[in-house]
Amino acid sequence: MKTVIFLLLFFPLLGAFLHAAVGRRLPRRGVEIIACASVFGSLLMAIVAFVIGGQKTYVLTLLPWIDVNDFSAAMSVYYNRLAAMMALMVTFVSFLIHLYSVSFMREDEGYVRYFCYMNLFVFAMLIITLADNLVFLYLGWEGVGFCSYALIGFWYRDIGNAIAGRKAFYLTRIGDVAFGIAIGLFFVTFKELSIFYINAHAVSLGAGMATVLGLLLLWAAAGKSAQLPLVVWLPDAMAGPTPVSALIHAATMVTAGVYLLMRMFPVILESSVALFIIAFVGAVTSFYAACSALAQKDIKRILAYSTISQVSYMFLGVGAGDIIGSMFHLLTHAFFKALLFLGAGCVIQALHEEHDIFQMGNLKDRLPAVYWLFLAGALSLGALPLTGGFFSKDRILLATLSHPELSYKLLWGLAALTALLTPLYTFRLFFVAFLPRPGRRDREIRPIPKLMVWVLWPLALLSLFGGFLSLPAIWSGGEWLSKYLASVPGTVSLNIPPSLEWGMEIGSGLAAVAILILAYFLYYSTPFSFRAFWEKLLFTGFYLDWFYQKMIVLPYEGIAKFLWLKMDEGSLNEGIDQTGNLLPIFSEGLRQWTTGRLSTYLKMLLLGFTAILCALVVGWYYF
Amino acid sequence: MIVPYSHVLLLAVLLFLMGAVCAVSRRNLIMILIGVEIMLNASGLAFIGASLHWQKLDGQVFFLFILAVAASEVAVGLALLVYSHRRTRSVDSNDYSLLKG
Repeated sequence: MKTVIFLLLFFPLLGAFLHAAVGRRLPRRGVEIIACASVFGSLLMAIVAFVIGGQKTYVLTLLPWIDVNDFSAAMSVYYNRLAAMMALMVTFVSFLIHLYSVSFMREDEGYVRYFCYMNLFVFAMLIITLADNLVFLYLGWEGVGFCSYALIGFWYRDIGNAIAGRKAFYLTRIGDVAFGIAIGLFFVTFKELSIFYINAHAVSLGAGMATVLGLLLLWAAAGKSAQLPLVVWLPDAMAGPTPVSALIHAATMVTAGVYLLMRMFPVILESSVALFIIAFVGAVTSFYAACSALAQKDIKRILAYSTISQVSYMFLGVGAGDIIGSMFHLLTHAFFKALLFLGAGCVIQALHEEHDIFQMGNLKDRLPAVYWLFLAGALSLGALPLTGGFFSKDRILLATLSHPELSYKLLWGLAALTALLTPLYTFRLFFVAFLPRPGRRDREIRPIPKLMVWVLWPLALLSLFGGFLSLPAIWSGGEWLSKYLASVPGTVSLNIPPSLEWGMEIGSGLAAVAILILAYFLYYSTPFSFRAFWEKLLFTGFYLDWFYQKMIVLPYEGIAKFLWLKMDEGSLNEGIDQTGNLLPIFSEGLRQWTTGRLSTYLKMLLLGFTAILCALVVGWYYF
Repeated sequence: MIVPYSHVLLLAVLLFLMGAVCAVSRRNLIMILIGVEIMLNASGLAFIGASLHWQKLDGQVFFLFILAVAASEVAVGLALLVYSHRRTRSVDSNDYSLLKG
């Protein structure tokens, strides 16, 4: 088992290393094979690990790392059922995205750098997935941050992309600070940094400490998962190549935050305050992002806001105490979001790098394969009945509704409202971008490689039928995932009366279909838009970027400028310059002594000796 | 010891001062070297006197060392002098003023 886990982690790292070391000397095909093979190796190892150890829990030390006095951080792995599911999903989706990238990047010269970062990205995400020691996990956490920075700003020659990469880096860093503090607090409290140990002893935490830790973890997760208030980096992260967006949104990075909360759920479970705040952040962010998605024009930005909204559902699920539902939604979301992004990548390439959905249209006959596959993803995202997204989202809504506290009912209301908005913005995108519209000239289509479409098939099937992973009992389903994850620490089984469950499923199903029809009328022939004020408000994401710019960036720049020009340049630098100018005044006097005549020097030498001797004599007699 | 110790020291001090004045005031490099030699020997005289006075051999040993140092110093100093003379055609110390600030 140890070997399997080691190889699971090692393959992508090896791939990244090979790219960095010899990638430039290999033929292009070789680089592509290494990139895909390393992730495929990881996928195989994840499957092997699942088959031989998927029922058990392992805590393994792979390599010793830091060992000072009573502090030790080893590269250790905590493999349980949650990690098994996550590792399978990450490697599987990443493998498909790597395959897709081979075609997508076929004309890009920087492919070695690209695949190097991609493999490293998968490696870092797998560390987050598997790590037991929190410091080891932090390594992956930062690795993911670094790789996302490098890949978002991949086309760095365009300054806007580089800025977007930097923005993502800064904002996730703000979250990472909280994680760093949380690790410190964990060590102070437990004298131990193993997640397994901490989860087992979480009961001994006081309510206050548990709240502080829970909120710090939430802050860290909000940075990585782009939740309010650290939401603004994700829409800008669309500057990177499309497969990178798919990787960030579906398999790595964005899900890392919520996965951390699930992984350390026993700690959070100790504090009802932290749970409520997590649920609150989730509900508010999901509503916020769904509203913002309604007014976007860039196909990738719509998908980005939808990711924020969907990940918020997972937060809501964690806050409602149902991490099985969260994990379920995480899996289905990974499939349909990867599908949607990769589909969008096909469309964008076919239309010569066109991102604006209002410039697209009439793709049904011209890109039929992509059309149907994208439709599958959209149905799942819109949570149309019987798709994967439908079951997982309903499970989270049910968990929230059945929470005993009244305040959760309000959050449920907000989340249900979001669930109505989701199909609206999804099918706004779909109808505007894919259906023909009268009176507009179609753009010409550039053929796209077959491979890019083939990759979408497994994702589409999983999106549509992902619900079978955990089909609820009332659908006479096996609830396989729920049963499988039931032994993960902190999970609770939902006890919901079937009548409520039926009501919920039928209600949300009917509502989704109704919204779908509404969207058809709103957006099919002449796209509907809000009044200019609202359109602007939603388009800019409620002016959040503007607000941060005014409230944080500008004052910070002001302070920095003051410190630079007034303090550093003005006071310190000027002061040192003036001190330097003073010195010649002194040295001018001393310069007179340097006559260049030997006798003067000798005279001075003798006088000096005499003075020293006199001082010695005086000291001898009087002290 | 027939000569009192204080007289020996007085002679040594006088010799040392004369040597110092010679080294400082003369411009001829050879005279400066001679002045330094006189100073060295004055200190040697003080060592010998002290050695006799305290009935210890250390002072005489010191003087042997001083002799050796003085001999080598003269050798090196004169060699330098000859070399410098070749370059500047002068033994006047005022002509060696490259270090003037």
